[in-house]
Amino acid sequence: MAQESTEIARGLRRRDPDLLDRLIEQYQHRLLRYLVYLTGRRELAEDLFQETWIRVLERGHQFNDKYAFSTWLFTVARNLAIDHMRRKQPASLDGLMNDKDKDAAAPFDVPETGRASAFDQVLQREQNEHIAAGMQHLAAEYREALVLRFQEGMSLEEIASVARVPLGTVKSRIYRGLSALEPWLKGAPL
Amino acid sequence: MNSVKNNDAHERARRLIALAAPETLSAADRFSDQASSNAWLAAHLETCASCRAFAENAAETIHRLRAIPVAAERTLVSTTQIRVRRRALELQRHRERMWTVAVTCTAVTLCALLSTVVLWRGFEWLGARAQLAASVWQVGFLLFCVMPALVAALLLLAKDKDNGKHLADHTGSYRG
Repeated sequence: MAQESTEIARGLRRRDPDLLDRLIEQYQHRLLRYLVYLTGRRELAEDLFQETWIRVLERGHQFNDKYAFSTWLFTVARNLAIDHMRRKQPASLDGLMNDKDKDAAAPFDVPETGRASAFDQVLQREQNEHIAAGMQHLAAEYREALVLRFQEGMSLEEIASVARVPLGTVKSRIYRGLSALEPWLKGAPL
Repeated sequence: MNSVKNNDAHERARRLIALAAPETLSAADRFSDQASSNAWLAAHLETCASCRAFAENAAETIHRLRAIPVAAERTLVSTTQIRVRRRALELQRHRERMWTVAVTCTAVTLCALLSTVVLWRGFEWLGARAQLAASVWQVGFLLFCVMPALVAALLLLAKDKDNGKHLADHTGSYRG
């Protein structure tokens, strides 16, 4: 991994467009997923996705190859998202979404799942939708912690580095986020 | 007292479950061969149905979380790649321009230094030939150096004056 990071750092310093093409391909789903969960809005996440890569190009020389590229990438994306949210609605990350957006937005596409009976597919899809809805109701910092931990498989230390919070805060966020999602497993809580 | 202790135990167990590696969540037996806290958790899970349910739910929630794919569309990726390439080109051109400006500035500075020395010697020689006082040829040298800038300033001023006159004429005729 260290060698890969070194090669990426070297390429970023050269602003090598071929390397950036490869990185965009490689991290496309992970970065978009993180941004979708962080902002709660697909359109905004797609805008920030593009801005993140432009920022990676411009500030590539700041990447420290001691760390994993993904950690730095998510930090860049996070900073951009926070800047954007501060400009738009300075109150909070969650303040970004008004009620209309909450109803209209469908950032999480829950696709049909294969190799299961029609009933099972519907059931699985419903349960996934419940969790997706539950995520929408969580505060952004909990969403972020959960997605980085359970979807990106990051270590607690890496999450602390991306979110720039102490390790204890990360642990609390994961625990509370997971606990808050529990009622959504069987459906929306009353 | 006992209930407080129990609550603490549940809280501790649930925190451990939430922070454990997701793969180990539903398999209580795997906790036993890990650190002491995990051994404690395994023992706790054997006796506590509610924490066991929490562990199962947590595992299910994580499984569901992972089953919600958020995929980037092809157009988004290609648009981003094009934008990044375009920006890379802009930055490269900017860097080349700055390089040209830096080289030009350096060359101009070197030429100015060299020509100043040569001109100073030239004026000194002329002053000696014409038997002028040093202050005279030095003033001449200064005027010679400042002359291009003075001429340019005068020309610009004259041009501005012409433009102002032209504008005044134009406005006048329009109104008239």
